[in-house]
This record gives sequence, structure tokens and C-alpha cells, in this order.
Amino acid sequence: MDCRDVKTIALDRLAGEADEASRRELSAHLAGCENCRREMGRLEDLWTVLGTDPDATVTPEFRERSLELIEEEFLRRRVREFRPRTRSVRPFLQAAAMLAAGAVGYLIARGLPSSSTASPTPVAGSAPRAIATPSAGVARASNTGSAVLDLASSPRFSNVSYRPADSDGRVGIEFDVTTRQTVVGRPEEPEVARLLAYLLSRNAETAGEKSRAIALVSEHYGTGSATASPEIVAALSATLRKDPNPGVRKKAADALASFAITPEIRTVFLAALVSDKNPAVRLVAVDALAAAAKQSPDAATIASLREKAVDPQENGFVRAKAASALKAISF
Amino acid sequence: MESKGSDDLELLERIRRGDTGGAGELFERYAPALLRFTDRMLSDRASAEEVTQEVFVKVISRAHQYDGRAGVASWLFAIAANACRDRRRRDRRAMVVPLEAVAEPRARGEGIESTIASRQRRQAVRQALSELSDEQREALVLARYHGMPYAEIADTLGISVGAVKTRIFRAVETLKAHFSEGESWTAAT
Repeated sequence: MDCRDVKTIALDRLAGEADEASRRELSAHLAGCENCRREMGRLEDLWTVLGTDPDATVTPEFRERSLELIEEEFLRRRVREFRPRTRSVRPFLQAAAMLAAGAVGYLIARGLPSSSTASPTPVAGSAPRAIATPSAGVARASNTGSAVLDLASSPRFSNVSYRPADSDGRVGIEFDVTTRQTVVGRPEEPEVARLLAYLLSRNAETAGEKSRAIALVSEHYGTGSATASPEIVAALSATLRKDPNPGVRKKAADALASFAITPEIRTVFLAALVSDKNPAVRLVAVDALAAAAKQSPDAATIASLREKAVDPQENGFVRAKAASALKAISF
Repeated sequence: MESKGSDDLELLERIRRGDTGGAGELFERYAPALLRFTDRMLSDRASAEEVTQEVFVKVISRAHQYDGRAGVASWLFAIAANACRDRRRRDRRAMVVPLEAVAEPRARGEGIESTIASRQRRQAVRQALSELSDEQREALVLARYHGMPYAEIADTLGISVGAVKTRIFRAVETLKAHFSEGESWTAAT
């Protein structure tokens, strides 16, 4: 071994990688070489100095936040995106509708009384329509006839599915009560809004059901084409405040953020920023509050963002977002 | 690194099946080491925590991509190393809120003097480490602080054992020069 090899083998030794033969060879060389002994000493000192750097440790807060995030990620992967149902039965239903229309026409042409057979029965699969209804319920079009749904009796709807808005902005809500029902209308129409709010706040039992209801609302209002109804705002606000599932709360926050901000929405976001356990929800709250404050700055929002921007316990992303939001607000 | 091969594979399998508990156990097992690694790579506690969380989120989405060529630990450190590089690139591009002002969490029962001394040591070493390139720092940190054998570092970083040795050698040369230039060496010791 000559002096040029010493550094490499010395490092191997410090890293625990030198084999027995190399270690013996190194020791023999060091015994007879003053310069290399000094170099070895410097390397050992350096290795020791590096070792004095204290290790970062997992704090209980970090652990808790991380496990929440992991859970949320699993949840996010489980919640399937909404896709309209495949309508494999539509051609059959259209054919049935044509046959029924033909039969009615035939009976009318023959001059038979038609009161029992020719009522204006909407047929599933025919063009959807919104029906004016009394305020106590919502309109429905079903394969059994038109009627008004009574939500006051807290009916349990199952197999709820949603159709995205058509060119007129009307969404479709289908569910089973005793038979399959379809309600069609614009979400800002009071009856449809009440039904959506009901499905969101009282009917939905699983995170998936809630997420689908929220997704429909977000999709519709995301275009900024309409003003959110008070029923929907109240249902989403309650979900953001109380739902135990962070994924659902995040969706509710996203939906609320797509509305024009009102004092009620602002209050809910301020509360979420302070007390929601989930950083992703708090990030949405920061964004929404900052967007509103850019247009009309208010003291409560600015104070909350300031607090978050310097809070050492806060998640780094939230802190950074709050700080950059403050920069963008002129006050 | 301590080998927990078959257990780790079992945990990955549970994660693939969508078992949250599997991911929780993997977190308990590897989060301390990964946090130590990211903390030294990024020199910022808040960023280190976020990147460590990012590693576990990525593991959930990529569990099915694990091909068993490297150990699970190496795979996790590889994800962490890439995430740290991405974070440093991003931080270099964007103006970020100064997070270094965030206080390190203090161990319970730690006195003020030892806290100060520990902070000074940390600053001196971190200052020196920050002079290394990402590549040199990754190799050195894995060897010095994680006791990872060269072959495993090579697997983790996707380079040859020779390249690992070269990177560590150059890192040590840079550090020696750094400490011999000023008084940092004495301050650190």
C-alpha cells in the first residue's frame, strides 16, 4: 500500500466497509508513515464531527398528521370519480315509449275514452323536464307518473345516482324509494336545491354518497354560472364543519370555494382554517379566504392569515400559502 | 441497514390491497430513518416532514410498481432522495417563505445549555453539508448517518459501488476544506 491509497481505505474503514486484510494493511502503513497518520486523524475527526449533528425525531404531532394523510390518501383512491351510468336499456325504453304513444294514438283515433290510459306519463329515458311544484316537496319524473316528493317525512333514498348538467344546465338525480325516480332541474331551482341538500345532509350515509352529491354541485357551480342556493350552502357548510371524514370535508370546502363568497361561507372557512385537523382542508380555506380578501379585504381574514403564516405548529404548505396570500392582498 | 425483507414485502402487499394499517406500520418502521435523511438533505425541519409524508403518499400509489430488485428500504430511500432533489429544485426556482426560522422541536427534559450547544453543532454541520452537491450529500448521509453499505447505497441511488465511493471521497474532501478554512471545526466540536 502506498500513501495514495490511504485516504480511500481509511474512508472504507470509517464507513465499516474495509475487510480484515485492508484494515491490517492500513494499520501497518500508518505505523510507519507520520503524514498518513495525521491524515487518518483528520478523517476520524471529521467523521466524529459529522456524528455530533443531532438526529431529527418523529414528534407525536408529525406522526398524527402523517397517519391522517395516509388515511386520506387511501380514501381518495377509493372514492371513484362520478361517471354517468351506461344506458344499455335506453333503446328498449325508447322503443317502448314509441309503442305506448302509438297505442294511445290508436285509442284516441278510435274514439275510446282515454282518461285511464292517456295521462301525461313521463317515460324514463324521454327528455327530462323540471316540473313546477308546491314548496313542500320536489318534482319528480318517474316511470309511474308525476308527483311531489315529501322530504319532511325523511324518506330513505337508495341507489342514488347523478347525471351531469345538460345543455340547459339541468342536472338529473335518480334514486329508488319504492320505484326508481328521476328528478331533473337546475340546481339553483329551490326544489332541486332542497333535494340536493337533503341528499347531502340527511340521506347520505357513506363518504362515497356524500362525495358524489358534492361533486355534482361543484361541477355545476364550478362554471360560475349560477348563484348557490342557501339550502346547498347550509348543507355544505354543515358538512365542512362536522363531517368526520377529511376527504368529504375537503370536497365540501372545494365546492364552497367555487361559490361567490358570502359572510356565511367566510365564517365557515375562518373556522375551518383555525380548527380543521386536515391541512388539505386548511389549504382550501386559505385559498378561498385570500381570493375573497383580494376583492374586499376584511380584518378577520387578514388576522387569521397572519396568524397562520407565522404559526410554527402549522403545516409548512399552509404556512407558506397563508404568507403568499397576504402578500397578494392590498390592505 | 437492518434487514426486514419479508416483513416489508408483506406490508407492501397489504398496501397494494388498500390496507391502511399496512401503510401505518410501514410509517412506524421507516419514518424515523426517512425523516433523519430528508432533514439532512433539506436542512429544514418543515420541508423534511412534508417530503417524508410525500414519500408515504407515493408508496401508496406506487406499491404495485415495486419490482423487488432492490430492498424495500432502498426503494423508500430512493423515493425520498428523488423527492428531496425535486424539493430543492423547486425551492431554488420559487421564492419561499423562510422556514428556517421554525424552531426545532426540543426533546423533553433538554436543558437550555445543551439545546444551544446542540443547535450550534447542528448549524455548523448543516452549513458544511450544504456545500456538498446533492449527489455527494446523498451518498455521505446514507453512509455516515444510516450505516448503509456501499452496495445498498448504489442500489438506492442507481449508481455503481465505484461511483458511491467517489462521491463519498469527494464529499469528505470538500468537508475537510470547509472545516480547515474557518473556525467551524472548533465550533462544531
